[in-house]
Amino acid sequence: MRHALAVSAGLAWRSIILVRRMPSVFLPSLIMPLFILVATAGAFRGISLLPQFAGASYLAFTIPLATVMGAGFAGMNAGMTMARDIEGGFVDRLVVSPAPRLTLIAGPLMAAAMRSVFTTTVVLLAGLIGGVGPPGPLETLAVYLLAVGFSAAAACWAMGVALRTRTIQAAPLMQVMVFLAVFTSVAYAPREVLTGWLHTVANLNPVTYLLEAARAAEFSALGWSELWPGLAALAGLLAVLGTWAVTGLATLGRR
Amino acid sequence: MRLAAAQTAALARRSVVGTLRTPQALFPSLFFPLVLMAIFTGSFGSAPGTIPGFPPVRGFLDFALAGAVLQGILIGGTTAGAAFALDIEGGFFDRLVASPVARGAILLGRLAGGVALAMFQTLLFLAIGIAFGARVEGGVAGVALLLVLACLLAVAVSGLGIVLALRTGSAEAVQGTFPLFFALLFFSSAFFPRETMTGWFKVVADLNPISYLVEAMRDQIVVGVEPGPTLIGLGVVIGLAALAVTGCALAFRRRLAAAP
Repeated sequence: MRHALAVSAGLAWRSIILVRRMPSVFLPSLIMPLFILVATAGAFRGISLLPQFAGASYLAFTIPLATVMGAGFAGMNAGMTMARDIEGGFVDRLVVSPAPRLTLIAGPLMAAAMRSVFTTTVVLLAGLIGGVGPPGPLETLAVYLLAVGFSAAAACWAMGVALRTRTIQAAPLMQVMVFLAVFTSVAYAPREVLTGWLHTVANLNPVTYLLEAARAAEFSALGWSELWPGLAALAGLLAVLGTWAVTGLATLGRR
Repeated sequence: MRLAAAQTAALARRSVVGTLRTPQALFPSLFFPLVLMAIFTGSFGSAPGTIPGFPPVRGFLDFALAGAVLQGILIGGTTAGAAFALDIEGGFFDRLVASPVARGAILLGRLAGGVALAMFQTLLFLAIGIAFGARVEGGVAGVALLLVLACLLAVAVSGLGIVLALRTGSAEAVQGTFPLFFALLFFSSAFFPRETMTGWFKVVADLNPISYLVEAMRDQIVVGVEPGPTLIGLGVVIGLAALAVTGCALAFRRRLAAAP
């Protein structure tokens, strides 16, 4: 167990220092959430004039979207790094080493979680510059927890794809699914405002509940009734996508 | 002259067939604009008629359609530029230059291919929009004007992609400009009206030429043919296309001069 933890931490550290060695891989995951924050809050501010927003700041409403997207990018990075490692033969060398296979997933997961903490901090600071102060300590903790959880879910999805396709060319598939999952939820407006097919899809989309919990935290209105659906959605996503990633590991020795 | 026209047509056909044969190149320019249009329509469907300052429209889909057309052309233009860069990387461009093909046909062929795809995209998006309940208030004249604007925008964007391809010779470098187009699109009135924006964001959207272009396109759909916004949009896109074509010619000459 201790050995597995040490290997996972080593792999996580390797992923983190890759940020310095290959900034082109990490920069989009930092710039995109900030871009989403600024562009969404600026372009769609008018929608917050609807009575359902009750005068709430649209920048504050957008901050959880940006933290969740930043976490999603951090997770996708884990999958892309794994795909590159598979193409480069690094994963093959790890498979024949005495390192437990599960560490192949655990290491990048830890790295994705750490990166999501960083991107969340950057987004919260950008919000502060824009005039939206952070919520209370417990609510801020909830925003971080939900972001870290979503980064782990996105990382599991992306690593599962990388393990099955074994090519970086599958990166668009990793990205498109995360984008669709986030944007077919309550990304731009609360559920009461959504219309037509999007209302139905958002009701079924677990990211909706995660975002609603993060928004309740951002607006300092987080109670158990807001938090538990978010945590349950996160647990469901992690269970399904964790299984997807772990079963992907089983395909490693087959080809 | 007739030979040059035939060569241009052949190269344009090659460009179109090449894009159609690589679905991964065509897919983003069709999928993302349509998905975003559907998501925005679902998210902001309550906005028209409720939000102060929102222009009168039948529904948000009518409003969003022009933004989707414009986004599709921006992505498609980047793809056209990247395909030209791939021709340079793969040596096809050098073989063309060494052959008796008219120099102008090499550029015009690629631009014409980009325009043909933009026409197809625009008509497809309009058909999908109409199938889901949108209405083009400008009628046939409105659709024709929309196609003219789309065609000129395709020249401008594909032209810029070709300039980058000629200067860098790298498809990756051309595709790297996509975030710039994406930013231009979001910092404009492509997805939401300028009348509802405030502060520095509104200033940026007011200064962004894309705002005037998309508003001219949108007017054909939600209002009908109106000379004012149409002429402004035409002026903006003709200026952009002229700049891009001039840039193409200069970059082409420079590349030929630098060739060993």
